[in-house]
Amino acid sequence: MRLKTPREKRILYFKTTVRWLLYLLIIFFSFVIMTSGSWKKPVLLVPVALCIAVNTDIMISALTGAACGFLIDIACGRLFGYNAVILTIFCVASTLIFELYLRKKFFSFMAISAAVSFLQCWLDYKFFYEIWDYPDVERIFRSVTLKVWIYTLISSVVIYFIFKLINRLLMPKEHLTIEEAIRSSG
Amino acid sequence: MREFFKSTRFKVILAFLAFLVGIMIYSVTKGGYSLSGASFINTITKPFRAVSNSISMKFEKNADRIANADSYYEENKLLKQQIGELNKKLAEYDDLKEEVEELRKLVVIKEEHPDNIFSQPADVLGYVANDPFKGFTIDRGYEDGIKPYCPVITPEGVVGITVEVSQYTSTVRTILSPDLSIAVICSSTGTDFGIVEGSVITAENGATKLTHLDKDHGIKAGDLMITSGTSGLFPKDYPIGTVTVTGIEANGLTAYAEIEPSADISRLSSVFVITDFDGKLEDTDETEDTP
Repeated sequence: MRLKTPREKRILYFKTTVRWLLYLLIIFFSFVIMTSGSWKKPVLLVPVALCIAVNTDIMISALTGAACGFLIDIACGRLFGYNAVILTIFCVASTLIFELYLRKKFFSFMAISAAVSFLQCWLDYKFFYEIWDYPDVERIFRSVTLKVWIYTLISSVVIYFIFKLINRLLMPKEHLTIEEAIRSSG
Repeated sequence: MREFFKSTRFKVILAFLAFLVGIMIYSVTKGGYSLSGASFINTITKPFRAVSNSISMKFEKNADRIANADSYYEENKLLKQQIGELNKKLAEYDDLKEEVEELRKLVVIKEEHPDNIFSQPADVLGYVANDPFKGFTIDRGYEDGIKPYCPVITPEGVVGITVEVSQYTSTVRTILSPDLSIAVICSSTGTDFGIVEGSVITAENGATKLTHLDKDHGIKAGDLMITSGTSGLFPKDYPIGTVTVTGIEANGLTAYAEIEPSADISRLSSVFVITDFDGKLEDTDETEDTP
């Protein structure tokens, strides 16, 4: 990687700041949407956390997972920290999977998002409904858990493309393109 | 000049003037109606006059705008300021009106239950996301004297109980939840006791369930169920809801009834919290109503 000039560094800092501000704004709006109205809603913060996780290093991914998890706990009235733990684990795992095995492509992300959001919804159902052995509890799985998972999956598509746009405009390039390499060597 | 007075032209002019005076006198005798000639002229010229007038008015307006632009600008600014102030006052008025209405409802409840202590009206901040039992968060917390397990009501009836209280907010578990049990009595018979406890199936329809009812009960559809106040968790005589369906439990030993809550739990905007009442148990862990 070639050395950056002071101007390039300034641009890099600026872009990174703007990118993170946009991430925070998306997290904030996702939380607001999740806490509005009484209808069933997607758990937007799961794909948001994953989108951030797959594009950052493992520590930031863990922090993002925890922050989004806490917000889910508040929005869903769950034990404070429960979703933070779960999402931290999932975000770290996703970062590792994308670093080691998968390319950052749409279908890879959707597969990971589907798996993570299903696990989050399923664990929520297990710990907050099934474990208490309510009569007819399986109806909650069908009428709430599965619906919320499908909504989350659909919302993942939109969230993926929003993040893709932000990253395309504001993410620093890790590697030089062939044209840049030729230009810099020349 | 003398020649002119003697001329025919002068005589014609005089005759014409006389004619005009005649017309004038005639028109006086018409009592306010136009002469037919005038009417005809008016009718013919009306569209032209209208167009001409509108052009003229537009021109005048534009000219006036250009000439008095500064004064209009100032006036506009002043009016905008006044509108802003009036809108602000209107918003304040709406808030006050809403508050007065809430307080009026509170006064009615207080008159019915003088021994109960209520919080200030609490706004519903939002429903717990994807909760099948419609739990919600209110904008009052322990700063307002609210503790865990305080009854939450509306003027229509009981809606739930506080379960998680922070400084400025509280989470409410509703009567649709299977985790909340309330001892109730039928207001019409006065003898049929039971426990209102939510269930997964009834919660789907926004209803709750009355269980542990004697098989030989006298409850029928339309009866109002009210809190019995025996548990120490809820004060007595607050409406819970009306009976819609009754039946016998699968075990064949007891009866049940489906209850439609008096308050529409999925559309709440503000509630009251009963912070204290006669017969309240401080240690709620030993009561049958413990959530």
